Amino acid sequence: MRELKNPEALISSVFAAAKRLNPDAQVLVKLGSTSAGNLRFARGEVTSTGDADDETVSVTIQVGKRRAVGTANQVDAATVRDTVERAYRLAKISPEDPEVMPVLGPQKYLTAPSAFDPASDRLSAEHRASAVESALGVAKSAGEDLDLAGYFERQSLAQTIATSAGARAGHRLTRVRLSTTARTSDGTGSGWAAAHSQRASEVKPAELARRAVDKATRSRKPRPLAPGRYTVVLEPAAVAEMLNALSFQLPARLADEGRSFFAAPGGGTRVGEKLFSEKITLRSDPADAAAPSAPFDDEGMPLKPTTWIESGKLLALSYTRFWAQKMGKAPTGQHASWQLGAGDASLEALISGVKRGLLVTRFWYTRTLDPQTLLLTGLTRDGLFLIENGQVVAPVNNFRYNESVAQMLKNVDAVGSERVRLPAWPGILVPALRSREFNFASVSEAV
Amino acid sequence: MLKLTRRELLAGAGAATALSFAQLADARGLLLEPLLDDVVAAALAAAAKAKATYADVRIVRRRQEVIQTREDHVTGVESHQSYGVGVRVIAGGAWGFAASSRVDPKEAARVATLAAETALADSKLLKRPVELAPEPTHVDVWQTPLSKDPFKIPVDQKVELLLAINAEILKVPGVKFANSSVESLGEWKLFASSEGSYIEQNVIRIGPTVRATAIDAKTGEFVSRDHPIQPMQAGWEYIEAARLVADGRRMGEDAVAKLKAPSVEPGKRDLVLSPEHLYLTIHESVGHPTELDRAMGYEANFAGTSFATPDKRNKLKYASTAVTLYADKTTPGGLATCGYDDDGVQTGRWDLVKDGIFVGYQTTREQASWIGEKRSRGTSYAEDFKSFPFQRMPNVSLQPAQSDVRLEQLLAGVDDGIYIEGAGSYSIDHQRYNFQFGGQVFHAIKKGKLAGPLKDVAYHSNTVDFWNRCEAVGGRSSWKLCGALHDGKGEPTQSNAVSHGCPPALFRGIEVLNTNRRRQS
Repeated sequence: MRELKNPEALISSVFAAAKRLNPDAQVLVKLGSTSAGNLRFARGEVTSTGDADDETVSVTIQVGKRRAVGTANQVDAATVRDTVERAYRLAKISPEDPEVMPVLGPQKYLTAPSAFDPASDRLSAEHRASAVESALGVAKSAGEDLDLAGYFERQSLAQTIATSAGARAGHRLTRVRLSTTARTSDGTGSGWAAAHSQRASEVKPAELARRAVDKATRSRKPRPLAPGRYTVVLEPAAVAEMLNALSFQLPARLADEGRSFFAAPGGGTRVGEKLFSEKITLRSDPADAAAPSAPFDDEGMPLKPTTWIESGKLLALSYTRFWAQKMGKAPTGQHASWQLGAGDASLEALISGVKRGLLVTRFWYTRTLDPQTLLLTGLTRDGLFLIENGQVVAPVNNFRYNESVAQMLKNVDAVGSERVRLPAWPGILVPALRSREFNFASVSEAV
Repeated sequence: MLKLTRRELLAGAGAATALSFAQLADARGLLLEPLLDDVVAAALAAAAKAKATYADVRIVRRRQEVIQTREDHVTGVESHQSYGVGVRVIAGGAWGFAASSRVDPKEAARVATLAAETALADSKLLKRPVELAPEPTHVDVWQTPLSKDPFKIPVDQKVELLLAINAEILKVPGVKFANSSVESLGEWKLFASSEGSYIEQNVIRIGPTVRATAIDAKTGEFVSRDHPIQPMQAGWEYIEAARLVADGRRMGEDAVAKLKAPSVEPGKRDLVLSPEHLYLTIHESVGHPTELDRAMGYEANFAGTSFATPDKRNKLKYASTAVTLYADKTTPGGLATCGYDDDGVQTGRWDLVKDGIFVGYQTTREQASWIGEKRSRGTSYAEDFKSFPFQRMPNVSLQPAQSDVRLEQLLAGVDDGIYIEGAGSYSIDHQRYNFQFGGQVFHAIKKGKLAGPLKDVAYHSNTVDFWNRCEAVGGRSSWKLCGALHDGKGEPTQSNAVSHGCPPALFRGIEVLNTNRRRQS
């Protein structure tokens, strides 16, 4: 990837420029560089493409309790100076922020497995075209009139964080992702599959296309089914979409202030309460080999392996440095990756345990209806199937769901053994889940 | 035709517009004019050399300033900027695109060559070559009419205003939290194409938010109320003219009233929807379905397709005859308003739904011929220098009634219904049939009059059924421009700012849900 030529010199120049403006200024510098390329396809052909290289320099200046952030995407001397001056000027005229904490000094970070795969860095336009060609080939040879659409993307990212008090952290990663949707020409069937990995070798275009095509053909001419409560087998994409909403509720402050699901009525938090099925364990671990991520947060705080929910019991909430100090707790840093614990069931085993229920490929347009109960709404798409007596028996019409993610996790009775990451939520690693009494509120005609 | 260079154009513009050119120069920042001309020339030459049959160059500088406060203090002051050059080409009949944050002639030539090479590599995956609808070449400048550049208003002045609003909100007993923010967005761009267009534009957008949150300490229940102020393409004068501080107390009182309000009984009701609510319903159920690329399957892998397919044009009764919905990239103050789109097409206004009938689509130069149209509607847009320009939503608005129907007249026609103010939760399926919307503040309507607050309200409907249940819309004096600063579409997802103007409107017999699960858990 295109790396910054001399990040140390750049960091020093930021510190020097800030020091000239005010010797007491505290400084947090974040440097980033990105190289990304993509190819979109639809109706069985390429539709757009792009390659972009970019850099960012973000400068946070603190003078006492006054603080401001300036960013730019140029790293020449004039722009860097201008960015420091802009941040300083804004900080100086900003009112004091009582929540400002001093920038961090030297920190110890855990060693996470590399998230950077050299073989996946800077994949060429030819590589992308070949990957997409093999996916399109699968649809063509399926012997059906199918439209294949999708998106292939490669990214290489590098970030460095440094503070004037001596903290230094760096992280590099590669990302390769492909998602694809097959639609039958009669407009009644649609299927989807996706993969996300740091390694291009783990993203298999033909295999994904086969899964999408298979779902599309099997979901054709859906049977009408009435809304209601059903046992569901949620494939990982459906789980990730709901879990994403839960992750926003983890800050302890929201609970302490009484505005989250984790707030106890009458004050305090629900830490220590068993809120979910005993099969649910939720952790954040930057060193998880299946989903390695940066072992530090946006201000350079070390991120340590943390268990939020263990066997259904809420063990911990997240604390910023300010809120931790105020409440007499240890700060956790701002985690950006979550891993839901795996179970021991294959997808087939999850399905075979259902007398009458639904297999959900994925959800769409999920939004919070009520933050207090974590009630969400959204829709099924790209393959919803009726299960009877442990067998998938027929495709059915799509539904809108109105269900609480907390309730869904409470009603889980089995967990899948295979965990995956998906393009839309690279920080979330999830298995499939089986949950009872899931509320589908209305029919969606959409295919 | 006679082609002016941008420098000649600027030189010939004269003293009358000197001030606006000063604004443009300011918006360009550190980008110097001679450099820009050289970058454009290098990119277009390299594209042609690499076998591109068409090329356009966009040099874009984006500025964003965000100030956030809560209660009595500031929680964030951020100033972001980015610039770079993006080159889009057609080679071998396929699109190619590449971009870099380094704005110099050598780098511009490199990305132009890369764009053409990529297009040629992809052309083997093409069924039919890209064809652009004809467009006259344009050499012009366009900018947001404003009197106070928000980037020149000192941060302390902005913070002072926000904290004054918070203080008013917190005077209301029962209100525990107050949050407010203001976001300023600056988008300067130079567009130049191999066909000879040379267009410089500077767009300034501003988006304030204000939220009051009330909590019932005993039950732990909490509710929020957002101020109805809308983001706008405007300067700081727009914020000054709004009565945000004066409204603070009412926001707090609304939140407390909502907390104490009875929970709604579900069932079919007549709804009167305020402009600050209805705009989002228009966005989701009319704006997105009439994007031609969606309707043709280009967004199938992400946002989905559309029920409004081309075979239904001029046939489908999308709405009742009271409803005319139009697209307009020239609406004053509209977030998507500009002089030219990112294909270099001059912007305009056209109907999407006329007297209830589905008649039009949003198109780009690539798409016009797909539905037999001769010219693009001018809806191409890219978020920033590194984004590929594609079809994005123009301002889509509901035409007011010819007679000046007032809100009270709409309410008077309702025996048992709900009046909904402000935008809440929203969700719609991937072909834009089934939707469900919440709101900010809900009032019961009994026998034609407002009859006290309600809570836990959402309504559910189907796009075509819903719009055909629209019995009446308000008149011109009740029409208001609302909108969103960040609407996502595409892969990689790009953000687009868009406005929707509408009067309040009356819908008969819509299914209302109760969203309260607290009684069950």
